Amino acid sequence: MSQKKYWQGFGDVNDPETNKKQVQDEFREELPFADLDDKIVDAATPRRDFLKYLGFSTAAATLAASCKVPVRKAIPYANKPENIIPGEAKYYATTYVQDGDVIPVLAKVRDGRPIKIEGNDLCSFTKGGTTARAQASVLDLYDTHRITNPKQKKGDKFEEVPTYEQFDQLVGSALSGASGSSVVLLTGTVNSPSTKQIISEFLAKYPGSRHVVADAVSYSGMLLANEASGFGRKLPSYNFGAAKVIVSLGADFLGTWISPVENARGYSTGRKIDEKNPQMSKHYQFEGYLSTTGASADERFTHRPSETGAVALALLAALDGSVAAPAIADAKLKAGIAKVAADLKANNGASLVVCGSNDVNVQVIVNAINNAIGAHGRTIDWSKPVNYRQGIDKDLADLINDMDTGKVSALFIYGANPAYNHPMAAKFKSALAKVKTSVSFSEKMDETTSLCHFIAPSHHYLESWGDAEPKAGYISFLQPTIFPLFKTRPFQTSLLKWSGNNTDYETYFKNYWTGKLGSDEAFEKALQEGVVEPGSAAITIAVTPTASDSAAIQRPAGPQVPTSTGSSFNSGGVSGAASAINGAKKISGDEVVLYEKIGVGSGVGSSNPWLQELPDAVTRASWDNYALISMAKAAELKIKLDNDYEYYPAKPVITLTVGSSTVDLPVLVLPGMNANTIAVAVGYGRNPELGRTAAGVGQNVYPFAAFNGTTIDYCNAVSVKDAGRKAKIAQSQIHNSYEGRVEVVRETTLATFKKDPNMISEWREELKEEYAKNTGDYKVEGTLYPDHIQPGIKWGMNIDMNACYGCGACVVACHLENNVPVVGKSEVLRYHDMHWLRIDRYFVSDEKNPDDLKAVVFQPMLCQHCDNAPCENVCPVAATNHSTEGINQMAYNRCIGTRYCANNCPFKVRRFNWADYMGADSFPNNQDQQLVGKLDPVVHQMNDELSRMVLNPDVTVRSRGVMEKCSFCVQRTQAGKLAAKKAGRPLIDGEVKTACQQACSADAITFGNVHDKNSMVNKIRNENPQRSFLVLEQLHVLPNITYLAKVRNTDEVIEGKGHHKPEAEHSAVGTQTEHH
Amino acid sequence: MSLLRYESQVRPPLVQGNKDYHQVTEDICRPVEAKPSKLWWIGFLISVAFLGFGIFSVTMEVMYGTGQWNLNKTIGWGWDITNFVWWVGIGHAGTLISAILLLFRQGWRTGVNRAAEAMTIFAVMCAGQFPIWHMGRVWDAFFVLPYANTRGPLWVNFNSPLLWDVFAISTYFTVSLLFWYSGLLPDLATLRDRAKLKWRKFFYGVASFGWTGSTKHWQRHEALSLVLAGLSTPLVLSVHTIVSFDFATSVVPGWHTTIFPPYFVAGAIFSGFAMVQTLLVVTRKVLGLEEYITLEHIDVMNKVIVLTGSIVGIAYLTELFIAWYSHVDYEWFAFSQNRVNLNSPYGWSYYIMMGCNVLSPQIFWFRKMRRNLLLTFFMSILVNIGMWFERFVIIVTSVYRDYLPSSWSTYYTPTIWEVGFYLGTFGLFFTCYFLFSKFFPVIAVAEIKHILKRSGENYKAKMDGVENQSFDDFSHDHGHDHGA
Repeated sequence: MSQKKYWQGFGDVNDPETNKKQVQDEFREELPFADLDDKIVDAATPRRDFLKYLGFSTAAATLAASCKVPVRKAIPYANKPENIIPGEAKYYATTYVQDGDVIPVLAKVRDGRPIKIEGNDLCSFTKGGTTARAQASVLDLYDTHRITNPKQKKGDKFEEVPTYEQFDQLVGSALSGASGSSVVLLTGTVNSPSTKQIISEFLAKYPGSRHVVADAVSYSGMLLANEASGFGRKLPSYNFGAAKVIVSLGADFLGTWISPVENARGYSTGRKIDEKNPQMSKHYQFEGYLSTTGASADERFTHRPSETGAVALALLAALDGSVAAPAIADAKLKAGIAKVAADLKANNGASLVVCGSNDVNVQVIVNAINNAIGAHGRTIDWSKPVNYRQGIDKDLADLINDMDTGKVSALFIYGANPAYNHPMAAKFKSALAKVKTSVSFSEKMDETTSLCHFIAPSHHYLESWGDAEPKAGYISFLQPTIFPLFKTRPFQTSLLKWSGNNTDYETYFKNYWTGKLGSDEAFEKALQEGVVEPGSAAITIAVTPTASDSAAIQRPAGPQVPTSTGSSFNSGGVSGAASAINGAKKISGDEVVLYEKIGVGSGVGSSNPWLQELPDAVTRASWDNYALISMAKAAELKIKLDNDYEYYPAKPVITLTVGSSTVDLPVLVLPGMNANTIAVAVGYGRNPELGRTAAGVGQNVYPFAAFNGTTIDYCNAVSVKDAGRKAKIAQSQIHNSYEGRVEVVRETTLATFKKDPNMISEWREELKEEYAKNTGDYKVEGTLYPDHIQPGIKWGMNIDMNACYGCGACVVACHLENNVPVVGKSEVLRYHDMHWLRIDRYFVSDEKNPDDLKAVVFQPMLCQHCDNAPCENVCPVAATNHSTEGINQMAYNRCIGTRYCANNCPFKVRRFNWADYMGADSFPNNQDQQLVGKLDPVVHQMNDELSRMVLNPDVTVRSRGVMEKCSFCVQRTQAGKLAAKKAGRPLIDGEVKTACQQACSADAITFGNVHDKNSMVNKIRNENPQRSFLVLEQLHVLPNITYLAKVRNTDEVIEGKGHHKPEAEHSAVGTQTEHH
Repeated sequence: MSLLRYESQVRPPLVQGNKDYHQVTEDICRPVEAKPSKLWWIGFLISVAFLGFGIFSVTMEVMYGTGQWNLNKTIGWGWDITNFVWWVGIGHAGTLISAILLLFRQGWRTGVNRAAEAMTIFAVMCAGQFPIWHMGRVWDAFFVLPYANTRGPLWVNFNSPLLWDVFAISTYFTVSLLFWYSGLLPDLATLRDRAKLKWRKFFYGVASFGWTGSTKHWQRHEALSLVLAGLSTPLVLSVHTIVSFDFATSVVPGWHTTIFPPYFVAGAIFSGFAMVQTLLVVTRKVLGLEEYITLEHIDVMNKVIVLTGSIVGIAYLTELFIAWYSHVDYEWFAFSQNRVNLNSPYGWSYYIMMGCNVLSPQIFWFRKMRRNLLLTFFMSILVNIGMWFERFVIIVTSVYRDYLPSSWSTYYTPTIWEVGFYLGTFGLFFTCYFLFSKFFPVIAVAEIKHILKRSGENYKAKMDGVENQSFDDFSHDHGHDHGA
């Protein structure tokens, strides 16, 4: 037998070992890699290898370079915590507490980060409603300018104190020398029962010490007046829903006054119309400037703000003659008062008068009016006083004097900022310098904090335990939704420590409520639900104050507790008040009135980019305050209201002087202003240390207020001078009239609607006859394209323009739900704002006298999700298209940014990423443009790693060059469908809510499946055929959003305002454009 | 004997100066073969500078985003698309001259067609920049091409007029380029054959594709020219029609107008001829080609200008009338308020458009004016300013105040980068034109020889000889009985 050997080469035969080894190696010869290490040029590498490397590296570089999006790695849980599923949101009931405002909310937490605020439906008086400020508050948590650790002032600078133990020692030694009487705790309104108890314990430790409450914008006039009228020093609950006639004397009750959410909730119920029996409440507004609330009024009468008392007196005189009527010069105003009085009389027991004045006498008269019309006990509920504002102006004034005379050795400041918002801020500052030890608990470096000796920064409410009692007996709980981001400590823990109690607030709070509620289970249930209300089974106890609460405090800080006394009106003070009002000094020249904007408020929102970017409901301006003046005043100041005024953002600047303080502000001319009134918003001109958002925005006008010995006056005589220059105001809407375009806006009066209820529906029928004669279906006849059958869900929305009052909560909610970029003032000025949802505002005024404002119309405008969308067919790459569920959707990845869709959108709701606002681009350093379109610091702030934590991970962050717009919150519809699918059931109506709908406290927005016959959307459409209209229906774009026309409750019958405009109106439209 | 010669007195000769074939070649090739003049260098360097600034402007826009331009949420298109339509319009004259006039056997076209076609190509190159760089994400511009991809059913949107633009412009560019280049081949071969330097020989040798001038080549050349002319003719009409669809198929009042296709085509020819005038008035002077590009050419083209200008004027008035007659409030507003109303923010632009496009060309009803070079040059500039404003009026004054008064825009003025981009396309255009006038014959040498009256002149000279001959001599020369 011969052994055959199969061989391939000589190596196989002659040197099998080496050969075998070589065969095993992948590369038979050594690759000359090593040669390249240090001497590429002289390397022994053959030329071909060099070319190989070159080829490979070029290809690799190309590949690597073409991967555009930088990859950021996330580390998964090594051990998955129980109950946490990555990518699934958790909701925790907590409470938005800021500046005395309390709104029970749910915090949406994704992957450990709170990213969205939603209203808590379980609360009986907000019913899930929120405000713009509550929505935006989540961003404050991630504010890059929060104070991150305890600090001590050394010289002019703050130095970090390493631990709280050391900090406590420092404060303790500073306090040790202080005698009791000289320790003062200065806070904003505190409406937390447990905190009140801690405060009283703290005060008890330092006998003779006191607690002073100061609100940024004071309501002490009301508090004192209510006390004088026998109701106790408290603010009642108002039931706007029960009132058929609502009269507001300068109270912005839908925007900022006391509790806008609750007010709006009640108000909107009275404003919605049942078409079969059209009725609605009647809202009269007397005011000096055009407020958000005034914009929704049926009839408005303007007067000087200083005349509020006279108007109230005249009203009372007309109602019961108990006082003499003062002379009212303005005939229109006089007739208005008579009319309102008659209307109030006719609706005795079902009407309500509210007043925004901070004058005790005026409020006493208002109480008398409410007594005369039987409001007390009916529309005004004294059994449920609210705790939102408790500050008494005199307390703070006394404190400032005490500080100035050296009577205060230690001052603890929490939630108050007199160095900024008190009329005597300058005095406060110098007085504060005389206080030996001052400690601030502020989260941010505000004006007062930067003057203090110590800072013990408190938690953001989303990091805190806590409670709040917005109304007597109604408790809303706070629970932390995230571990504290910084070295902060609850204010309460600090107080406990310094009163010698070593428990922290968490434990204290738990013990406090377990005790009150009876058991751990009850406490946990209360935390879970977030609210405990008197009627609910969970609580049977009344939250009573501890003995020390009132005993230790020299002045009772506010109406914490309902007392059994004081539900009937005591008329004792009326005549005195009347004579005080009559004797008050009259202002003959111009007057300035200060007001709060919905977004920034008293100034608490000024470091929040979303709130600064939120256009004001009435002026549509963001990022600024300005002097609002009437057209008559503009003519007096020789400001020409021409095209240039309308089209260029630079507005004339005027110099306002009140007493010794002078401020330069650009003007905005508004209709519906009193000729002598100049209105300026507070909350601007903040300390630069407060952050890049607040710095340099607007001017501080708090010095224009004045303390009159009892209360702070927010209106004053002012002298006005042309400053001879211009400044830019960033408005996101410049044209104010809807130019008679009834296809865009349908608004009418109640009388007209009753007379001709079918005006809108007839027009729609005519359209159908014209364009869809045979089938009545546009989809079949109105287009060349075949009709797509849409089985399953079809999303649709209704917006009731009668309920919307323009507060903007939806706008901010949309911002945070959908990661809508903040662009800053410089970009808003260039008309680059990114709001997916905006609230268009139109003025309707008398053509001959444009100052005479007849109505203001708010129209929330968002993508209409047209079934025959003009944007869809023009996109060359099909980046925007229609989903099977009727949603007009954007594939951002596919968008190349031709902007054709935006041009072709009749509603102009598409928004283009003009720059890399969100840092989503792969281009490096592309936010540092200098010559054109320089981005404001706020854009960079929003791109900070910390600020970006607020982004919703369910929504793509868009890069520049991409078009974006409302998606009907497609992430929510998808989540809702998924939940239904997992549960094996069809989607329930109301299960999916868009962010805007969720935020709305007036329930103006309804969203749901139109194919579901029983859905709310369909129900409302079917019940309101006479008011339903589609914007620009004649264009045939088939919107999926139905609007319900706005009806104003007036007796005026508008003739011929249908769609058939006479030809002559062509020219009328033309002349109107020359006004603004 | 005079019966033997018939001479038409109606048409003046198309080429003046009694040139013979060689002289034509010499005249036209001279600028190509000579060293460029100082003037050429100055012009060229200025153009390159403009081009450089344009490139920088676009770089800024690509680096920082479209926000570098002053467009906004209401005015999505401004200078970018205005310039695009303007350049595309200019690009119409060349093909009209070379294709439609070829089919109509208009002999005079040969004097100007080469330069006009080159202008067309450069203008379309400039035009193409705008729709590309106006994109927010230009690096994804290839999405508009319907190429085979792995994205499943994702495909371009054939409903979109912008996509039609992609096809229309790219087709037009391709065909125009082929037409121009195939016409160049014989002349490039001439240059090759005349070349004395090695690199010239090589360059023109490669460029002329081995043209030998054989009869077969000529036959194919003629056939190809006719085919391309046939292809180009509908393109002249279709390209601007499709560009007009960008607006006509939209829902924007002021854009949504059925008159746009013919009106755009007329406007395009109008502006194209104006641009040809601008260029040729200068070119003929600088390159000394007055005998080839004669006053007759200028005259004829001015006639085209007054004709198309009047068509455009009628179109303006028609759409104005229809806006009123239709009773569509929104359209009437766009016309009566956004445009006709001089006090409106952009009212002035409408009057510039009307003045430059409709009124000013009427001066060309006068022969004397048509033949005035300075006036022609001035008018050609004026017409192009007017046509730029026509596009600006259509685009900006329509969108800045459309349906919802809430969205009416603030005033739109271009930023430095928008202006820079526009200037950059001028740089591109003139850089190309300067290079073209240096390296290629600006007049079609081979083609212009067809229309030389040379053969006629030869005949005339021969006839003169015949006439001066005595009968005997004639019969001697032409008799058949030479023998004997």
